[in-house]
Amino acid sequence: MKRALWIGMAGAMAAATWLVAQQPAATPAADETPTTLGPAASGGGTTFEDGDIEMPDPAKFHKEPGYSPYAGRRYPERPYFGDEHVHTAWSVDAGGFGTTLGPEEATRFARGEEVVSTSGQPVKLGQPLDWVAVTDHSDGMGIITELKAGNPELLADPTLKKWAEMMKQGPKEATAAVMEIIKGQATKSLPGPMMDPKFAGTVWKRNTAIADKYNEPGRFTAFIGYEWTSNYKGGDNLHRNIIYRDGKDKADQVLPFTTFQSEDPEELWKWMAAWESKTGGKLLAIPHNGNMSNGRMFALTTLGGDPLSRAYADTRRKWEPLYEVIQMKGQSEAHPSVSTTDEFVTNYELWDKGNLTLTGKKPGDLEHEYLRDALVNGLKVEQQVGSNPFKYGMAGGTDTHNSLTAAEEDNFFSKFPVAEPRPDRWNEVVVKNSGQVMKGWEVTAAGYTAVWATGNTRAELWDAMMRRETYATSGPRIVVRFFGGYDFTKADVSRLPAAAGYAKGVPMGADLPAAPKGKAPTFLVAALKDSHGGNLDRIQIIKGWIDAQGKPHQHIYDVVWGDAARRKIVNGRLTPVGNTVNVKNATFVNSIGDPELVTVWKDPHFDPRQRAVYYARVLEIPTPRWTDYDTAYFHVKMDPKVPLTTVERAWTSPIWYGPR
Amino acid sequence: MSAETPTSARGAAAAGTKVPGRLRRLLREPMLHFALVGVTLFLVHAWVAPNGATGRRIVVDRGVVEDLAKQYEATWQRPPTARELAGLVETYVHDEVLYREGLAMGLDRDDPLVKRRVRQKVEMLAEDDPSAHEPSEAELSAFLARHAAQFTRPAVYSFRQIYLGEVATREEAERLATAARAELARGRSPAAIARPSLLADQVTAEAADQVARDFGDTFAGELATARPGAWSGPLRSSYGAHLVRVTAVQPASVPPLQEVRTDVAREWARDRRERSVRERYAALRAGYDVVIETGRPTGTL
Repeated sequence: MKRALWIGMAGAMAAATWLVAQQPAATPAADETPTTLGPAASGGGTTFEDGDIEMPDPAKFHKEPGYSPYAGRRYPERPYFGDEHVHTAWSVDAGGFGTTLGPEEATRFARGEEVVSTSGQPVKLGQPLDWVAVTDHSDGMGIITELKAGNPELLADPTLKKWAEMMKQGPKEATAAVMEIIKGQATKSLPGPMMDPKFAGTVWKRNTAIADKYNEPGRFTAFIGYEWTSNYKGGDNLHRNIIYRDGKDKADQVLPFTTFQSEDPEELWKWMAAWESKTGGKLLAIPHNGNMSNGRMFALTTLGGDPLSRAYADTRRKWEPLYEVIQMKGQSEAHPSVSTTDEFVTNYELWDKGNLTLTGKKPGDLEHEYLRDALVNGLKVEQQVGSNPFKYGMAGGTDTHNSLTAAEEDNFFSKFPVAEPRPDRWNEVVVKNSGQVMKGWEVTAAGYTAVWATGNTRAELWDAMMRRETYATSGPRIVVRFFGGYDFTKADVSRLPAAAGYAKGVPMGADLPAAPKGKAPTFLVAALKDSHGGNLDRIQIIKGWIDAQGKPHQHIYDVVWGDAARRKIVNGRLTPVGNTVNVKNATFVNSIGDPELVTVWKDPHFDPRQRAVYYARVLEIPTPRWTDYDTAYFHVKMDPKVPLTTVERAWTSPIWYGPR
Repeated sequence: MSAETPTSARGAAAAGTKVPGRLRRLLREPMLHFALVGVTLFLVHAWVAPNGATGRRIVVDRGVVEDLAKQYEATWQRPPTARELAGLVETYVHDEVLYREGLAMGLDRDDPLVKRRVRQKVEMLAEDDPSAHEPSEAELSAFLARHAAQFTRPAVYSFRQIYLGEVATREEAERLATAARAELARGRSPAAIARPSLLADQVTAEAADQVARDFGDTFAGELATARPGAWSGPLRSSYGAHLVRVTAVQPASVPPLQEVRTDVAREWARDRRERSVRERYAALRAGYDVVIETGRPTGTL
């Protein structure tokens, strides 16, 4: 017994000794440490003045008249597809869950190169992306990789050492460790080294170096970015991805903003303003997963409980041009309990059991979590205070945590290494908390952002995002044009909608000019199916408005559909397109629907005194969901409640109307 | 520190072997343990003592003290006081004494943390190739030539296309194509014949992979066989059937180095790094006699 004790003690001492004896591996030279801006990590702090509010004007952007008709064609000719939301091994949770692929592999994969996944499976995108933003969590960026590698500087901390050991013991213990880390973050009790700016500086510089190395103007854009991960009150999702327009030279000057500094988005915007004035560069933020914010993402009060002011609305709109409407943790476009007449959101990729810890929702929360409601409520706030806080365009990202932005249904590598292709992955627990469970099959194979930019460079893509000339897709590379104006007619339904669109109207993301007397808004909308995907079922235009009593409304119009000869609107509903999916083999045929749809639509219920917002939604015919490809490939039988088909879709940024 | 390497390496090599059940009981005998520890201590001492690193003499030289002071300063933003420095030095000695004792007992072996850390260090050394350098033009040219496929720019096409509409069968496509050719022969313009479509009717200088993304893989494949200057078809795309007239083709080519220098340099460095790690491991592994004993069926790698 004594001997055992002695050996045990000696073992512990020897281990501790070894850990302490190592020289720090990641100590950067002090003079190279980037600055931290904003409140100190301890809380409290400095405030910065907002810069001048300078809104982009998409209506004017493409119209610079000149003599030459060809020179006038400055408009974007093709959409550039990418993912603004990718986590790698350098994210605390991703690394903790076992991901070994870092930002370099993530970027190579997005460019279309073959990589070997964490679980050892070779994987390659069916269609390469045009751009990517690796957005690892700023809180403790890179810490897990270093922890697992045994960085002695970190292991000197007893808590970090404990976590490092748990991560080696097996997946169960590793998960427990990550849960402790997430909890530690929420309760502000993370060990000191995780918040050490010196360490963060080293990792950040390595991160930006990789983005610069793979950024090839004209061929592939690698944005510098990070995610600011505010789990307000211990789990209400207020996350934002920060996308840099510039390169390493500017990004390295300041460390990313962390939630150790503040969990309040208003502080983040102050930080962004301070960053821009210090570096002369440009930043934008993309919030996501309002569906897990328990009513906070689009609340009509600030976190402090004050009503939304004009200044708040101006600031939020300035920094946040886009909202991520779909990703692996479900869609945040509209919830069936609020949008009761929308048959296409019923059972469509809903993650609505609670916030990030699956703590349940209070009545009314669901009305402040989804973008469609926010778009309408934004009009109301604008009416009240003179500025719209929720003027969001559409973005889509994966939020992958295994470095693989694989949103294709037939090529889905899911969110974590443990959920990479395996026969049982559909039935395994993904999140379990507060007595609630989310299972593997509920993870969504989505999404991407399409950007109508004049070229594939950081500046051009970023500028297009800033003017909201973007749309989101659940994965497919559908091409969508959407223009608003007062003079579109059926004659504009041509093979070149962009020519008429830019000449006579404004593109997605813009404001309609004042309505000429007696005229209602008209919209030119066109969609071309993904050359590798399903035909199109229909295009819808979704209108939101505020009536004279200040009440919010929404209505969905089916404006053009495939197989037009055999389908019509019965009792306000378009007859379904049908379904060709062979579930057994996970196949479908494009014998229904149309490869492309285009039309001009005029708002039949326009009232020039009412503020309104319009966006287009394009729906594909039903195709196999990733669960169906798994069923066919692994010969597994899933629970009947698991959906095996899906309706892929695209959502355009809205076009707004306001009385002048 | 280099002196512990032989012990660790052998320890690691021995660790993989499985011990049969009967032996295991014997191995639990305290006396045997004692003997083994004694033998190990003796062997370790014999191996490393002359070198001094794990001997009985600890020298805290000026460099060590400077390092301790600097580390302290980096954390606390001020140099340590004389008393604090004495504490740092004593901690260093404390570390060193127990570290050597622990090594002597072989406690570093079979410790996954130690093993992982040492492995990582060795790999880092392998990555830090002493012969690493900025690549010369000749090296880059050679790399480009050797990996030509990786850098090849796909063929670039300019073409006009007449969209004939969706088709269910090959015959239907043929029929529509024949009709369209007849109309062309009568002098009607392609734009008048084509079904309206959002697909570009005129494509200028587009790379084959982009054509495949826009029109589908089948179309891109068939385009490669179309004779430039004449209307070919029907070609099948993801949207239906087309007549196509290729107006210009620039065949796939390997670009000259100056056009892809940054890419080539990046890939060259990556390749070198990976190869260095791989080769050094292979060389080291070849020096070991690895015996794997298992009751489980194992495949080959």
